[in-house]
Amino acid sequence: MCGPLRVRDWRATAALVLLALVVLAPVFGWAAGQVGYAEPLENAAEATGATDDADPVHTGLLPGYTVPGTPTALGTLVAALVGTALTLAVATGLGRVLADGTDGD
Amino acid sequence: MHIPDGYVDLPVAVALAVASVVVLAVAARRSEGAVDGERAPLVGVVAAGVFAAQMLNWPIPGGTSAHFVGGALAAILLGPHLGALCVATVVTVQSLLFGDGGVVVLGANVFNMAVVEVYVGYAVYRLVAPYSPFGGAFAAGWLGITAGALAAALQLGASSAFAYETLTVVAIMGVGHLVLGLVEGAVTAVVARSLADARPDLWPDRSGVSA
Repeated sequence: MCGPLRVRDWRATAALVLLALVVLAPVFGWAAGQVGYAEPLENAAEATGATDDADPVHTGLLPGYTVPGTPTALGTLVAALVGTALTLAVATGLGRVLADGTDGD
Repeated sequence: MHIPDGYVDLPVAVALAVASVVVLAVAARRSEGAVDGERAPLVGVVAAGVFAAQMLNWPIPGGTSAHFVGGALAAILLGPHLGALCVATVVTVQSLLFGDGGVVVLGANVFNMAVVEVYVGYAVYRLVAPYSPFGGAFAAGWLGITAGALAAALQLGASSAFAYETLTVVAIMGVGHLVLGLVEGAVTAVVARSLADARPDLWPDRSGVSA
């Protein structure tokens, strides 16, 4: 049922869907920024006075899904692209390691 | 729901890191041979989809936002063990590359989103899906994210930064995610059914979700 052509089909479709999600990231980021959003965790921290206790040990290479020195939207787009690609690579590798060694039917 | 460093006391963080490592080790062992070579990239696609979807903050007027977490969806599509490994990969990339969620508390974040949300979500799905696969996926997403948030709230409420105000934290995070989780449930149900309808051959054990 899953011949080589069909496999390529779903992989191409998956790549397009992932690319669409990546492109949408800056749009949603901008829209969320317009409402000055806060998650329940942040609200709980504010209610209990914990906000100042946040003490990042490591900010990451692309802190806060941005690229230092670039406009926010572009930085978010690059961060989404890099993060999605890296996650895809790592989890695909994981899948291959855990696969049963057959090629399906 | 990503906890930053400094919010959770070190003993709590260490205990959850140990718990997460144990659960993921068992998950990896039980996932061996769970997919054939041809479908192995699906694990990557689901994880990448969860990562990308988590970047979409849904603005809600009034100053709140929700973003899809995807633990229940990953569990429904791939099974709970591969689902847990997928979400753990996402949470780790978010912490190490983007500083979203602390490094010291990485184990806690993995526990909440990749263990609690995934396994609670999957358990709910298994309970409800025989009666309504679509409803089961919705309930899985909704209650899975709420359970993950409650787990985080208990950890935060047991920590000095939050002045041990467990009830306050549980109330804010529990109620908040119980409401925001409706979006998670809706997305989980629609995406799970769409994928099952589009390519039931790729999800051989989950095609019932479209019934």
